[in-house]
Amino acid sequence: MKAFAVVHPGVHTTVQDFGRPGFMKYGIPASGVADRFSSIVANLLVDNPAGAALLEITLYRLELLALNDLILAVTGGNLSPLLNGNPLPMWQALFIQKEERLIFRARKQGLRAYLAVRGGFSGPKFLDSRSVFVRGMMGNVLKTGEVLETESSMMNLASRKQFPKELIPNFPAKNSLRVILGPQEDRFSSKGIETLLSSEYRVSPQSDRMGYRLQGPVIEHLSGSDIISEPIARGAIQVPGDGLPILLLWDAQVSGGYTKIANVISADLDPVAQVMPGDSLRFKEVTIGEAHQALREERARLEQAKRVIEEQE
Amino acid sequence: MPKVRPSGDCAVLIEFENRIDPQINQSVRSLALAIETERIPGIHEVLPTYRALMVTYDPFRIEYHLLLEKIEFCMERARTIDPPPGRFFRLPTVYGSAHGPDLQRVSEIVNLSPEEVIRIFSETRFMVYFIGFICGLAYLGGLPEKLRVPRLATPRTLVPGGSVGLAGGQANAIATDQPSGFNYIGRTFVSLYDPHVLPPVPFAAGDEIQFVPVPEEEALKARGERAEDFL
Repeated sequence: MKAFAVVHPGVHTTVQDFGRPGFMKYGIPASGVADRFSSIVANLLVDNPAGAALLEITLYRLELLALNDLILAVTGGNLSPLLNGNPLPMWQALFIQKEERLIFRARKQGLRAYLAVRGGFSGPKFLDSRSVFVRGMMGNVLKTGEVLETESSMMNLASRKQFPKELIPNFPAKNSLRVILGPQEDRFSSKGIETLLSSEYRVSPQSDRMGYRLQGPVIEHLSGSDIISEPIARGAIQVPGDGLPILLLWDAQVSGGYTKIANVISADLDPVAQVMPGDSLRFKEVTIGEAHQALREERARLEQAKRVIEEQE
Repeated sequence: MPKVRPSGDCAVLIEFENRIDPQINQSVRSLALAIETERIPGIHEVLPTYRALMVTYDPFRIEYHLLLEKIEFCMERARTIDPPPGRFFRLPTVYGSAHGPDLQRVSEIVNLSPEEVIRIFSETRFMVYFIGFICGLAYLGGLPEKLRVPRLATPRTLVPGGSVGLAGGQANAIATDQPSGFNYIGRTFVSLYDPHVLPPVPFAAGDEIQFVPVPEEEALKARGERAEDFL
């Protein structure tokens, strides 16, 4: 069923699902939604499976025209969504009618919004995922005139599901991210490590789903920045020869030859998705045990979110 | 004994001796095969590279200390596993000018004429050590010591697909348009990546590749052809 016509594609809008983990050995990054929590909530609000394909909208200017009656939900960063010129309430399921017009006008908070429609977006699959990965020639960003389709047309009843205000995450412009040092912490001077852990870094405009380049104090190596190319985990902080860190993210290369000083813990990657170029980041060292504990807390937060939404059946 | 280090909270890095060497790489590939065939619950993916491999895991399904035990067990297993033999590709390649923007710089760094750089590079039978980066980039070993040049201090934001380059004693042929910190001296137009098929890359670890110098017209004729046609 036709869902939307793209009137204006926005700055960078892609279809995403949980991505394609499992193909690193062919050089394919997992990709997938950047802010997992927000995307899951959007899907659950419209009765989709948690990992159904939805739109990841960056910054502003996306404009869509509904081609059918739809049930949708918008979550994530607040990009001032408007429905026919009036503010569209976020974090709840809404029924919208054919011919209605949805615009993301201006960024207020965060960076990425998620738009789920009941049934999920259809479209081409690459290696079993609909996640667009432009550099890998797996789909493309939205284009003007493109028509987005959904998998089903079950529009029998208007959904009223709402996500409680107190559970909606905040997206501040200053973020403290927890890191585990390594794997090459021994290639940096103690001053270099101290610099990473005590400085504020600004996210450069040269940042995207592949990685964020960071601007701030130069990190000192002990004996050069090059290593024999090796695997890169999501959230790795690589420091090339110029001493400026690059945080590697969802569409990042799976291998590379620059020293990695630390790795942002998995539980702190969702907030990174909502960091805007110009925002600042700080890094705080934790142990693996603390990182796994944080991941348990993150999972509990997600379970709570699921429960709260399901209770509204 | 290989060293295991955490790489964030959902992956560990297993490091062998710090050299690019066919024997060491074979140990890496044997361990990767051993871990994959063991099908350990909680272990997601194994990515073998030159002299290290990464194992990603789900900390909710396997505890860290148990993961380390399982990896140690697989290290024993790996001693008796031989990776499969490779194939030999000869890819038509145009060197220099717009297709190899770093040729002149490389020739100045290594103090050889551009022709000499091309000759030494193109006579080399490179071995595919692993597939990585983005879109199935083949990482190649066997670069002669004479052609050792550093990476760019600041990586280029875009390098066209098919570019053939070198840095830090390594060589590669980039599969699609990508950012990279390598020095690019030539380009092949043979298709090195197809996102519609599995595997999306023609090469596998253990294969060999030679970048045969050809005039531009001939290199362009191979545009879009499958690498398997140049075996």
